[in-house]
Amino acid sequence: MRTIGEVMATAMMLLGTLSTPLASARIGPSSPSSPSMASDTLRQPPELRNLSRVPGIVDVELTAAPARLRLVRGGPLVDVYAYNGMVPGPTLDVHEGDSVVVHFHNKLPEVTTVHWHGLHLPAIDDGSALFPVPPGSTYVYTFRIPAGYAGTYWYHPHPDARSSYQVTMGLFGAMLVRARDDPLAALGIADKVLILSDNRFDAHGAISFPDSGSIQADVDLENGREGNVLMVNGQVMPTIQIPPGGMQRWRIIDASASRVYRLSVPGAQLIHVGSDGGLFAHALPVHDVMVANSERVEVLVQAGSTPGERMRLDDLPYDRYMPQTRPANWDSTRSLLSLVVSHAPAAPAIRVPTLLRYVPPLDTTHVAVRRVIVMSQGLIDGRKMDANRVDLHGRLGTTEIWEIQNVVGMDHPFHLHGFRFQVLDRDGVPEPFPSWKDLVNVPEHSSVRIVVHFDDFPGKWMYHCHILDHEDEGMMGVLELN
Amino acid sequence: MTRSRISSRWIFASVPLLAAAVLIGARTAKSGRVAVSAAPDTSAMALIARGRQGVLSHGCGGCHGGFDDPSAPGWLAGKMSDDQVFAIGACNVVHPDAKPCFKTYPRNLTPDNETGIGRFTERQIFNALRYGLRPEDTPDVDITSMTPGQGNFPAHPRYLAPPMPWPDWRHMEDADLWAIAAYLKRAVKPVHNRVPESEGPPDFWASDYAKLAGPYPSKPFPTENERVPDQNGAAPNH
Repeated sequence: MRTIGEVMATAMMLLGTLSTPLASARIGPSSPSSPSMASDTLRQPPELRNLSRVPGIVDVELTAAPARLRLVRGGPLVDVYAYNGMVPGPTLDVHEGDSVVVHFHNKLPEVTTVHWHGLHLPAIDDGSALFPVPPGSTYVYTFRIPAGYAGTYWYHPHPDARSSYQVTMGLFGAMLVRARDDPLAALGIADKVLILSDNRFDAHGAISFPDSGSIQADVDLENGREGNVLMVNGQVMPTIQIPPGGMQRWRIIDASASRVYRLSVPGAQLIHVGSDGGLFAHALPVHDVMVANSERVEVLVQAGSTPGERMRLDDLPYDRYMPQTRPANWDSTRSLLSLVVSHAPAAPAIRVPTLLRYVPPLDTTHVAVRRVIVMSQGLIDGRKMDANRVDLHGRLGTTEIWEIQNVVGMDHPFHLHGFRFQVLDRDGVPEPFPSWKDLVNVPEHSSVRIVVHFDDFPGKWMYHCHILDHEDEGMMGVLELN
Repeated sequence: MTRSRISSRWIFASVPLLAAAVLIGARTAKSGRVAVSAAPDTSAMALIARGRQGVLSHGCGGCHGGFDDPSAPGWLAGKMSDDQVFAIGACNVVHPDAKPCFKTYPRNLTPDNETGIGRFTERQIFNALRYGLRPEDTPDVDITSMTPGQGNFPAHPRYLAPPMPWPDWRHMEDADLWAIAAYLKRAVKPVHNRVPESEGPPDFWASDYAKLAGPYPSKPFPTENERVPDQNGAAPNH
């Protein structure tokens, strides 16, 4: 029987350098002959079971409740929050045009919500902090998935001031919206969900939170909480098998509270095919791809042709930090999973279509309002969120251009609820092609212009920095549409 | 003085920095002799003149650019050359790599929207001078308490780096601070000059200031180090 220390140390070895003094102080040495955790095959979270037999209706039960789960293989049972008893939560897998009914039960000892991140739906079903679900109560979320929204989304809690805690405790899950005419599915390309998360554990393997007033608490508030154990679908360094020459489609969701990943698979061909709101028009071969917290990317991965060949999904260094709180080991590369070429027969060659789908650029010739949104440390436009205040008034049926400025020395990822948008330019450099986004990372001292069309759904919508600790601190605003 | 206590703890590294510190000291000392219009004048020009006087007499240009010459290039435009970089901590000329070592950079005080103080309100600038709160990190509100987490004082304040002598200058009258804010915002031409983010400890100097900054408002006169002049207004005999 291994101790949690050994398990964690194994995880650390696989992950590279220790990131916190806490971890290094408490985790003892371990022999490299400990059972390898790299032998775990990457699991896909189970689907949320559809209780409806009516075509086009998806009716699911979702419960958030405390649970005791083994978060690290071979580790102890630890206290978590879980959706339907699992971390990550089950995947909501739906099609464009579906009507979705989610019977959500809050069995947590605190207020929560379920935010359907990236979806276009009525404001009361958005699960923002403006519509809290008290403990012990049920809330029925009802929404219809519009045509053209095929993509990779996720769901997570969005209560006032407690998002970082609840997500860290285990509340996050994937949401897939599929198109019936998906060009990649038509080619038989295997589809995998990769939910990236990170966490910190104490000497007993429990999820560790800093004491208030400690330096770590300050650092977490500044950077947003980062964990030193990196997981994919809740697994440390799992393995994906791929036939020689085979191609897989990875739908990658960054469910970390604040960690930004720069992903690369040395030795494999990486083709960037989509972002938050689904496929691009054209596939784009890349060396690496950035995914900020809460952002999603879709990539095609084409492996080598030699059976037994091992590759790794690496997280390359990216400096998103304030100079004050930049982690000492920020510039080290960490590996997230192993990609192994199997001994299966070689896969037939796949030619990626020239046109994946049509992504119409939003019309920027009839713009009703141009706004400047200023993000500073913990503030938007110099203020903290007030649920009783409306910061921006907009009109339904209009198009707006927002210039989102980041005036401080660290990155802030910007999220608008309910409405997907397109990036026009970053620091004046035009975006090469239109794509659907609901989150855009705004690097330090830079600005990004986005265009958004408010076609439907009146009410109050939130926009905010998606570093969960910043969101919890009130780095948010309210947009009211009429 | 607060600043000298800080500088004895944090060894300033470079000669230009020491020179700048000396210049600040000289100008601060001089301010007692500079006549500031006693009667409040509400006209805009008088406000600007009072603010300009405050900026000159407090040596803002000594660090932020232009020294005491408003016509000099780079007037208040922040760090433009390496000799304006401050190194705070154990590092010095002999041991440049000693830790901790934080590099801080005088900010651009001109009202450029992107790189200067253009997007801050005069109240945010006032709050920076009075409470040391970084304007980009502090809500645009009247601060109603001196204790973090109470009233409108941020629970996790982010302070200006120690070379900025706000613990001394917060003792200036409200009207002087408002006038400086008005001068900077309204009467200086914007200069586009991006200054790197200053380094510092993760708490943005909060624990250092909690230890080093004197009380505000200061203790009533006289304290045990002070004496009341005699009936003639001269120094007492004993």
